[in-house]
Amino acid sequence: MKGAERIEIDRRYCKGCMLCKYICPCDVYDLGQERSDLDYLMPHVARIENCKVCGLCEQHCPDMVLTVVAKKKGKEKE
Amino acid sequence: MNPLGEKYLRKDFLPFLFCPGCGDGMIVQAFLQAVDDLGCVDDLALTAGIGCSAWIGVYMHVDILKVLHGRAIPAAIGIKATNPSRKVVTFTGDGDCLAIGGNHLLHAARRNIDMTVVMVNNQIYAMTGGQVAPSTAVGSKTQTTPYGNLERQLNGCKVAIAAGATMVSRWSTAHPKQLIKTFKKALNHKGFSFIEIMSQCPVQTGRYLLGSGSPQFNFQWLKDHCMKEEDPSKWAEIEAQGNIPVGDFLQVEQPEFMAEVARMNQRVKEAQAKGGDR
Amino acid sequence: MKKGRIKVMLGNEACVEAALLAGCRFYGGYPITPATEILEIMSRRLPLVDGLCLQMEDEIAALVAVVGASWGGTKAMTATSGPGFCLMQEAIGLAVAVEAPCVIVNVQRGGPASGQSTSTAQGDFYQARYGSNGDYSLIVLCPSTAQEMFDHTIKAFNLSERFRIPVIILSDEVVGHIREKVFIPDADQLTFVERKVPTVPMEEFVIFKPEENGVPLMPTFNTGYKSPVISQAKSLNGNRGNAKEAVENIRRIVSKIEDHMDEFAEVQVYGDEKAETAFVTFGSVCRAARSAVDMGKEKGLAIRSVEVKTVWPFPDHLVRRALAGAKRIVVAEMNLGMLQREIERVIRQPEIKIELFSKIGGIYPQPQEFLRFLEEKR
Repeated sequence: MKGAERIEIDRRYCKGCMLCKYICPCDVYDLGQERSDLDYLMPHVARIENCKVCGLCEQHCPDMVLTVVAKKKGKEKE
Repeated sequence: MNPLGEKYLRKDFLPFLFCPGCGDGMIVQAFLQAVDDLGCVDDLALTAGIGCSAWIGVYMHVDILKVLHGRAIPAAIGIKATNPSRKVVTFTGDGDCLAIGGNHLLHAARRNIDMTVVMVNNQIYAMTGGQVAPSTAVGSKTQTTPYGNLERQLNGCKVAIAAGATMVSRWSTAHPKQLIKTFKKALNHKGFSFIEIMSQCPVQTGRYLLGSGSPQFNFQWLKDHCMKEEDPSKWAEIEAQGNIPVGDFLQVEQPEFMAEVARMNQRVKEAQAKGGDR
Repeated sequence: MKKGRIKVMLGNEACVEAALLAGCRFYGGYPITPATEILEIMSRRLPLVDGLCLQMEDEIAALVAVVGASWGGTKAMTATSGPGFCLMQEAIGLAVAVEAPCVIVNVQRGGPASGQSTSTAQGDFYQARYGSNGDYSLIVLCPSTAQEMFDHTIKAFNLSERFRIPVIILSDEVVGHIREKVFIPDADQLTFVERKVPTVPMEEFVIFKPEENGVPLMPTFNTGYKSPVISQAKSLNGNRGNAKEAVENIRRIVSKIEDHMDEFAEVQVYGDEKAETAFVTFGSVCRAARSAVDMGKEKGLAIRSVEVKTVWPFPDHLVRRALAGAKRIVVAEMNLGMLQREIERVIRQPEIKIELFSKIGGIYPQPQEFLRFLEEKR
């Protein structure tokens, strides 16, 4: 099973549209309380353990701020 | 910034001027993915007109000429004419391409000049604040049709097909995978390709036409209303239900304009060398 | 004496001849009387030199395609007349804003609207300078002979490349359709100016940072500079500018031309340079005025004819110098008084009334009429 090591959100450009939360089939995101540099409430990676690294959130992000970093092979059991 | 953005965006131009949840940024990403897959970034020359979608190309680190409202296509023709090895792509909106620039679309398609027109359709004039567009549905209440729009919609894809475009597709921002594939096809197509992209505009289309300014709602609206149907005989039925046919509608080979120009130039030069009259 | 050949040709033909010599390889046009010959001859000649002549769907597309070709790295031009020139105005502003060198020929005809398509006029004098929106500057040259149509076309390409601006050749039906002797110098007898392009690596290059002469280097497309060229008021790196950057941008595109007027401004005087009576003319009217000066001389009348060759930016100091000592100034033109207004602005001497000898309706003035005007209005 693929998994994500982390999901980076570029706070400089995030506009908090929350399409990432909407598109995510694995319920990884919540609406967060932290504001981006553009003063929008950003998504919060609440359940990274659910992430299957499908890339939909990355691909749909209108501001290209999301980077899903996959776990390296062999790290699954950690 | 995701890796694709790191590689291809102009960092000093960010953030995008698009509103939160706008489809234009998704088109930037899909296009860059196609360009990255093909490795053709150095051959690109983009043009754009005026409107939200005209800014799509400006954020990409490629040669771009952003001209007047409606005039992106003639600018592209000028650029292509000076060096046919370029891959010329025009980003334009529904108002830019079908209203003020409608004539240019017809004639570029008719010439079958090797270029790609990407028409982003948000069904409204968004940058000026939500006025009726040629692509707005009958009955819609906009800032300039307060009692409902009386004019019928102009269908960009049908226009392009009728005018002689040799590749025509329509997708939406809810189809990024298909979009990337179609971009790649268009960039390699020798002839005039027209790609219409239905795109969400939560701020204008969403609030005034569809009833919600939420990006999620507007994105879902596209998912619900865009139906894959590549057979034109079935479009009327889909459109009658208020839905939008999407797919790769047309791709044919026809003599390409710049190649024909090169052949003609060769012919007349040879005739002249022999002293004959063309 | 320069080496070359002499050919009898149309003014419009001379324009094409010069454009091809200057290196024009893209022409975008639309048929319109009395400029059509330029498009027709271009469509015949350009393929022979691997150029492209495109008849576009309208004049807007024609000039925008020319701007595209210019950024594509080619010398490009278009030609039109009044109604087409109206359609081009927005794109003239575009060429100014994106600093695209190009040449636009306006073979003037009667107006307004469709006006008199086959008749001459000079009613686009102000439109050539002020037709587009906002503050800007450009160079407008006025030929009066087929020879000048040739010379000015070479000059127009050189100035457009030097300043990165659209240069307008404000011709008229008489000059466009006159068939007369033109001396065509061999190419090695002429000087051609080419736009300056950057040589530094892309990372060090700032796209709209001006050189000392106010003109930035031009990173034409697909030469590795990934140029962002937008029609908005811009900052030095090409992005939308803030108010301060917009001010700097607008001031620079004006001053890059107007601070260097000495390089190109041209006013000629024909006849007796000290004569108290002076005609002031531009374009084709210079011809009739010259004949009038000669006829006056036979009758014992001393007249000078001041010919404004570069009408925009208006060469105030050259006109003032050419008119120094004149007691009677008659502006002769084929409109209701446009050049007259500029002369009134430049010559502010209460004792001198700037008189107007105006011909409109497509009727070219006869030399005798100039002399009759001098007698009758005395």
